[in-house]
Amino acid sequence: MSDAAPPLEVAEYRTALARWLDEHHDELAPRDPLPGTLDDHIAQMQRVKGILYEAGWMRCGWPERVGGLGGSPMLRTELGAALAGRDLADPGLYSLVEVLAPTLIDFAPPELAADVVPRLLSGAEIWCQGFSEPATGSDLASLRCRAAPEGEAETASTWVINGQKVWTSLAQYADRCVLLTRTGAPDTRHRGITAFFVDMDTPGITVAPLEMINGVREFAEVFFDDVVVPTDRMLGDLHGGWSVAMSILPYERSSCFWQRIAYLYRRLELLIEAAPNDDRTAEVVGDAYVQLHALRARSRATQHRLAAGATLGPETSIDKVLVATAEQTTYDAVRRILPGALAADDGVVGEQWRTEYLYSRAATIYGGTLEVQRNIIARRLLDLGSDE
Amino acid sequence: MDAAERALLRQTIDSAVAEATARAVGGAPVGDAPVGGAPVDGALAQLGWREMLQTEPRDAVEIVFEVLGQVNATATALDDVVLFALGVDPRDDRAVLLPPYAEWHPPGRTDRGATSGCATARVDDAEELVVVHDDGDGLGMAIVPRRAARVTVVRGIDPDAGLRVVEVDRAMLGEGAPLDNEAWEPAIALGRRAVAHQICGASRAMLELACEHARERVQFDRPIARFQAVRHRLADALVSVEALDACLAAAGDEPGPETAALAKAVAGRTALVVAAHCQQVLAGVGFTTDHPFHRFLKRTIALEGLFGTADEIVVDVGRRLLRTRQVPTLVEL
Repeated sequence: MSDAAPPLEVAEYRTALARWLDEHHDELAPRDPLPGTLDDHIAQMQRVKGILYEAGWMRCGWPERVGGLGGSPMLRTELGAALAGRDLADPGLYSLVEVLAPTLIDFAPPELAADVVPRLLSGAEIWCQGFSEPATGSDLASLRCRAAPEGEAETASTWVINGQKVWTSLAQYADRCVLLTRTGAPDTRHRGITAFFVDMDTPGITVAPLEMINGVREFAEVFFDDVVVPTDRMLGDLHGGWSVAMSILPYERSSCFWQRIAYLYRRLELLIEAAPNDDRTAEVVGDAYVQLHALRARSRATQHRLAAGATLGPETSIDKVLVATAEQTTYDAVRRILPGALAADDGVVGEQWRTEYLYSRAATIYGGTLEVQRNIIARRLLDLGSDE
Repeated sequence: MDAAERALLRQTIDSAVAEATARAVGGAPVGDAPVGGAPVDGALAQLGWREMLQTEPRDAVEIVFEVLGQVNATATALDDVVLFALGVDPRDDRAVLLPPYAEWHPPGRTDRGATSGCATARVDDAEELVVVHDDGDGLGMAIVPRRAARVTVVRGIDPDAGLRVVEVDRAMLGEGAPLDNEAWEPAIALGRRAVAHQICGASRAMLELACEHARERVQFDRPIARFQAVRHRLADALVSVEALDACLAAAGDEPGPETAALAKAVAGRTALVVAAHCQQVLAGVGFTTDHPFHRFLKRTIALEGLFGTADEIVVDVGRRLLRTRQVPTLVEL
């Protein structure tokens, strides 16, 4: 059959996409035996992105100047959720598209964005996000990785980067990095940060993968030793890196969450397929379902506000708390209902639940810990003043 | 209704209910004394609440019940909601038999000799009572004269909630008309949404009281709002309230028994979380009847049992998931 161009109206897109994914299931389904290594998951994601880019689905919701077909960003959200809900792409890996491509579109020189964004969307490249440092977790404004101009800051044609990043997801696979550096004095906090788009094969970059508690080497330490980057790779203004970092928030807290939610509904479905049919189980899965529904309702409202032109701000900390707690509740349900699978099954099923369960423990840590979110809610939404 | 119209309507209802409330208690501040009853019902009737319910049911239920919850007012508007959803004209002198406390099946189990359930205070002075009953092989609806009902006032945890227990002799139901089995579900669904909105309003009120206290109460030479342990409790309370708010919006956008059941379950959980955190923050001050907190606490506990508790709904929902082996998403973008 011939494939027409995807429709750009959200509900039509959702329906047409579901049909298309059904029809192309065999082509898209993971090829490697479950549960699969990280290499397998990344290869699968890149392959799926390639197929979807070719067919046009992956270009919907992105502006035409970076190879997109236009339409509401909600189309991207629908695509990510459909892939996560069908286990065609891991939402954690896939979400890097959603947090990094908009950064390039909004802050890179137009010709750079036009050149590189299609490579990310089509699965030709992988990018990583160099934000956290050993001494900089929740307190992002304290970062120290230094970028120094060769000459005067205003006229320099190159910058030299020295320092270290850590917990950088997929750094060992990445072709590029969106990197936050210190360009102001050490104590300038959020006023003295600048973002760069760095090629990971630049001399002086060393990547040392770290093993997570689930045994997967998804993130890494990245060392920068006199790494030279041209000024035209600066994203946004000199010392304007904080707004680059903050611009990611609306994407991370809307479409990425919607993908994560679709993934969690699918997890609950898998759990229910294997669960005994008794009242204790009903209570546990019912509770997880209620939490997922509340999260989904909240995320939906947030995305409708975004689509209507609202600027997302501190209120998305509520979404973040809900997504983190619902994720952990879902996997707690797995532990409570299938304790043997989680702890004492060396088969594929046990391996998969174990890996995911352990990963879910990070949900209340990454992207700003739950404590940071609660502080934001208290100060900005409940008007409780500063805690100092 | 657009957002501006809704805001205006909310303001109107808010001040009318507050005024009626003040009349009822002789000018004491809202939340400080038992409020409501006839003046609040009268104010709502005057504002055209029943007409609004017919033309804009979603906005009417949302706004009126959020306000009732927020000012801790007692009214009998729930009768109107259930009657409307059953397709019976709501009237001042027409009460409806609600399910027995903490249940949601139709109140009439005619095999027991008498049919019993809950009611609001409207039943006290009503002319007639609408009774949906389940005689084992199908639903029926009877409109019986008030004198057929034995009404007991329930004091319970919240004597001001206006709760009644009603028994109707089965012999009095004989002439009831058969009712479509599907007719009960929308009544439960809209009733659940109304009660959940009321719990939402009450939860917001508790949170406001606790935040106000946290800003003003000084211990160890600083307002207790500066302590993270306090801030985090209040933040979690807000997360819970906003989640409930979103569930109610979803139930309004995608009306149905499932979205209403989930909203009611989330309302029950939210009231518990909010009450626990706020009570802890209000501490000794909130433990006295001098402070209005106790009224909201008691009211939300009383409301939690109408149309089924959160725990019962969660188990019911879980059983359905296990039976169908499906996890429906219910709302889309």
